[in-house]
Amino acid sequence: MNDALILLFGFSRTALEIATKLKKQGYAFRLVDYDPAALVKAQKEGFDLIVCDYGDDDALESLGIAQNVGFVFCLFDDDVHNVFLTLSVRAIDPNVPIIATTHTKDAVHKLEIAGATTILDPYQITGKKIYKLITQPEVMQIVETTIFGEEDVNMAQLTVTETSPLNGTLLSQYSAWKAYNMLLLGLHDKEFNKEFIFITEGHTHKLDAGDVLVVIGSRSEIRRFKTDFCLE
Amino acid sequence: MSLAALVIRFAYFLDTSVSYRRLKEAARTLLEYPHSKIKFYFDIFMVFLVVLSVLCLLYEVKHPDESILEWIIQGSLFIFILEYLLRFWIYSDSHAIVIEDYEYALKNNLPFSLGRALVKVVRKKLDYVFSPLAIIDLLAILPSYRPLRFLRIFLLFRIFKLFRYARSMKTFAAILHEKKFELLTLAIFAGFVIFAGSSAIYIFETNQNPKINTLFDAIYWSIVTMGTVGYGDIVPLTQEGMAVSMVLIILGVCVLAFLTSIIVSSFQNKLVELKENRLYYDIEKLERYILICGYGRVGEVVAKMLHEDGNALVIIDTDAAKIKLAQERGLIGIVGDASKSKLLGTLGIEKRATHIICATNSDELNIFITLSARSLSPHATIIARVIKAAHKKKYLLAGANYAFSADETIGLLGAQLVTQPVSYAALEGILSENTGIVFESIFVHEYSFFNRQTVTALSLSSRRLLLFGIVRQDESTCEKYFFFNPADDFVLQPHDSLIVMGRKHAINAFRKQNEKRSRE
Repeated sequence: MNDALILLFGFSRTALEIATKLKKQGYAFRLVDYDPAALVKAQKEGFDLIVCDYGDDDALESLGIAQNVGFVFCLFDDDVHNVFLTLSVRAIDPNVPIIATTHTKDAVHKLEIAGATTILDPYQITGKKIYKLITQPEVMQIVETTIFGEEDVNMAQLTVTETSPLNGTLLSQYSAWKAYNMLLLGLHDKEFNKEFIFITEGHTHKLDAGDVLVVIGSRSEIRRFKTDFCLE
Repeated sequence: MSLAALVIRFAYFLDTSVSYRRLKEAARTLLEYPHSKIKFYFDIFMVFLVVLSVLCLLYEVKHPDESILEWIIQGSLFIFILEYLLRFWIYSDSHAIVIEDYEYALKNNLPFSLGRALVKVVRKKLDYVFSPLAIIDLLAILPSYRPLRFLRIFLLFRIFKLFRYARSMKTFAAILHEKKFELLTLAIFAGFVIFAGSSAIYIFETNQNPKINTLFDAIYWSIVTMGTVGYGDIVPLTQEGMAVSMVLIILGVCVLAFLTSIIVSSFQNKLVELKENRLYYDIEKLERYILICGYGRVGEVVAKMLHEDGNALVIIDTDAAKIKLAQERGLIGIVGDASKSKLLGTLGIEKRATHIICATNSDELNIFITLSARSLSPHATIIARVIKAAHKKKYLLAGANYAFSADETIGLLGAQLVTQPVSYAALEGILSENTGIVFESIFVHEYSFFNRQTVTALSLSSRRLLLFGIVRQDESTCEKYFFFNPADDFVLQPHDSLIVMGRKHAINAFRKQNEKRSRE
């Protein structure tokens, strides 16, 4: 999906964070805002920005929605904009994943109705993190410094290919991956529904091509595992 | 050796004596420190004693020969005297005054005067003796001394002793004190009216009215009239007298109305304060609590979850509406500015706040709160919400233990969602805990079941748990190291923390087994 375009609506601080991360990983994205003032701000940060009235469906289509747009982010600081934009985009393209942020509790439900695929609630996430930090400080510290942080422990997803030795094996039988300093967190089985299955659920899974494993480990270990088992 | 040298030596002896200090400290805990539990019980006991002794006194009026009553009265008297003396003792540190004077003289090369130091000591103690509560205490004791039996009525002063033990009574006294000026003005006016009225009736009626013979009768009559009581035992007979009484009645109503309104309005003002005091009192009772500054959405989410877990919380917000919301949800909320050190000080955060959460929606405010909180409380864990990710460093500089930026997390999640949708799902599941899978830490102590065992012995996979890593604290340096995915032969030590992932009940079962004492 690398070639699909990612649209980031609303030049908020969140948009800036996402854009920075995407730029680092070489994804194609466009920042969009209705406010010409945002253009100046974006240029200051080294990004280009399209000024566009998102209320106009033609304008949305001209951005490539329903054609080559792979993801739409609604990141306005105002929920009203986010809900309206989600609805407009969903009306044009029923399939594109829409990710929206929200700032009030009410908006979560409205965004769901409007057709957002994923809703990111910054307050909920921050609140939960703080809660976790108080009740389980060690866990949160580890999660912060490893998964989110600068330490060389990363989370990565690996897809099982046709030629992989893992293809067709039962997960419980196969323990060769234990030779790598990494943890198998869980997997996404193509045959099952969309949900992610954590390894601790203990089901015996037959791995097929197309299944996705999520592992945690150092970058180099993951790379070694990836090449050894012909994963993508 | 001169007397002065002896006194100084004795003062130094007291100053260095541990047992003396301990004894005094114990007395203060019993009588003074508002947080001490024992004072609370002591106060209740004293209230009971005061009521009991007054009841006995009343009973004794008609039954003077009951010996048990005498015992109770004598016993309570003994306790009252003891209390009075204890309070007298702990009111000031006399030896400290002497030492201070002596050292001041030494440093400035002045001759030390024992007399001046003693005067200071005595003056300080006299401060106590003449304080209103001490006078009441003394009056409650004195009439029991036989030669002073005629002062029996003052035994009722014991009731006033209750002032010492009840906060609300103190508030009433405070109101009277606060409105001193208004009340004094009114009293002068009333006194003038009474004086004028009684002299007038005295002049007009002394010879006409058989009931008014002395000035005292006249004053009695005018007060009864002015207070709108009007017993009717003394009635003006002359027309002049009736005119005086009419004027007096009208003025009397006015004075009463003024008096009532002064006290009521003052009470109403005080009521808000009283409620707040009640709140602070509730907070004072909490031994440990988590302080949340800012009851916005983040604060709300955190407060809800922590409250459900049964943690004691104190919430501060400048917005009264938000605090009201918090109070409706059964939380302790205070309307106030958390950046004020004074407020944080009154809340006692330096001793009793274990965690301080800065969750307002302004970086400047959050940093300011972090700074003031850190300066007051070096040990509390301060967690701050960062609004603009660029400011994160400043939070850590200000003394925050952790600083979170929601934007950063959202940015990371958003980017993850695009680049690795499946690992996003995993991450989301971990963070939101909606899937029932949680990360938790399990502490290994000296007597843990799994102490000194290898990772293999934990048989985690059969328990459906995943060992993410182990946090080990170096015993000498106290530094913490994290071992990611430890090898099978890794041996657990006391003070290790296992970070495991799995379903909540599986983790709980594992934790329970860990808590069992090892077989040896």
